[in-house]
Amino acid sequence: MKRSQLIGVEQMVQDVSTIHSLPMFYSQLSEAIDHPRSSIADIAKIISEDLGLTARILKLANSPLFGYFSKIETITQAVTIIGVLQVRDLALALSVMDVFAGIPESMVNMEQFWRHSLATGLAAKLLATSQREASLERFFVAGILHDIGRLVMYIRVPEISLEMLDRCRSTGELLYRVERDRLGFDHAEVGGALLRRWKIPPRVAEPVERHHNCKRAEQYPREASILHFADVVAHALQLGNSGELLVPELDSAVWDRLSVSCHYLPTLVQQVDATFKDTVQVLFRSDSSV
Amino acid sequence: MAPVQIDNLVPGMILKHNVTDRSGRMLLPEGATLEAKHFGIFRMWGVLEVEVTDEGEAETAEPPPGEEVDPVLMERASGEVCRIFAHNDPEHPAIRELIRICVNRRAAHEA
Repeated sequence: MKRSQLIGVEQMVQDVSTIHSLPMFYSQLSEAIDHPRSSIADIAKIISEDLGLTARILKLANSPLFGYFSKIETITQAVTIIGVLQVRDLALALSVMDVFAGIPESMVNMEQFWRHSLATGLAAKLLATSQREASLERFFVAGILHDIGRLVMYIRVPEISLEMLDRCRSTGELLYRVERDRLGFDHAEVGGALLRRWKIPPRVAEPVERHHNCKRAEQYPREASILHFADVVAHALQLGNSGELLVPELDSAVWDRLSVSCHYLPTLVQQVDATFKDTVQVLFRSDSSV
Repeated sequence: MAPVQIDNLVPGMILKHNVTDRSGRMLLPEGATLEAKHFGIFRMWGVLEVEVTDEGEAETAEPPPGEEVDPVLMERASGEVCRIFAHNDPEHPAIRELIRICVNRRAAHEA
């Protein structure tokens, strides 16, 4: 079976983007935020309609991830203090996690998958902080979403996905390279295509699309580089797993472009470890303690 | 002497130069004696290494104290970490540092 019989990136995401669509609420929220005349109260009202999401956003806002002094009790406060765009980014990350619930356990353990995503998100956010980047939530969200293309593959081509996972287990190859070899593209590109279809802004979609191929990032090379390295760190720490068993190869050109000192790495690892557990609790254990 | 990485600083060392954050704001003047609370402040402002006078050098020459991990554990951790880094160049400074951190972290977890 050759590539010609297989599907391309666009076909891969075509059905998935409609079946697994983002909740209506997200597009409403985006619309309200983009509308010049909407107020913070309007935006808060839309978020408040989704009770589960409201609870999780408030918990995140009060978690050490943000580290505000006073307690944030209402969505209006959260929107005011954290910022409108940041709240939208968090809402996006949380909604996507719900969209993909229910992929068979034989393929991927969803909790492990999101744990890896979360570790990458935290590392990306901390790295971005150290690089003095602005609006940090987009790095967190890009981290949460960076391997989402793999979920699309699990849904669309389950047999090929299993075959690729087996091949990596026996040969010790890197999964994203096997994907390129077998399908002609990797999960990063699939993820990028899905996010574009969902009309997620390119500042998140492009770094996701290029996190294994930063050279080709045109608009957001810095973001893609940070995400690339954050992924390496998350794999190195073995927090969660998204299918890839080994640490992806660090692109040394990417490392040179980032002005990160090696001496910062112990601090980074320490901070990831410190925030990881608390954030996992907020994101995964929310139902039991609302 | 060369700049000392923040993890290897010990209270009692004396600063050789002013410590400033990235934008040049002064955090601690030359000649000040380091205390434990300063390390948190340095981290917060993104200071990763500082220069100290030679008086403290004897202490820094030693690796960070206190962590005597079982060599068997270290070996096992190092084997496992090298396995997952198979596709990376172990001579690359960032990878070398990551491997070092991961080996220690893993060994400490198992201890």
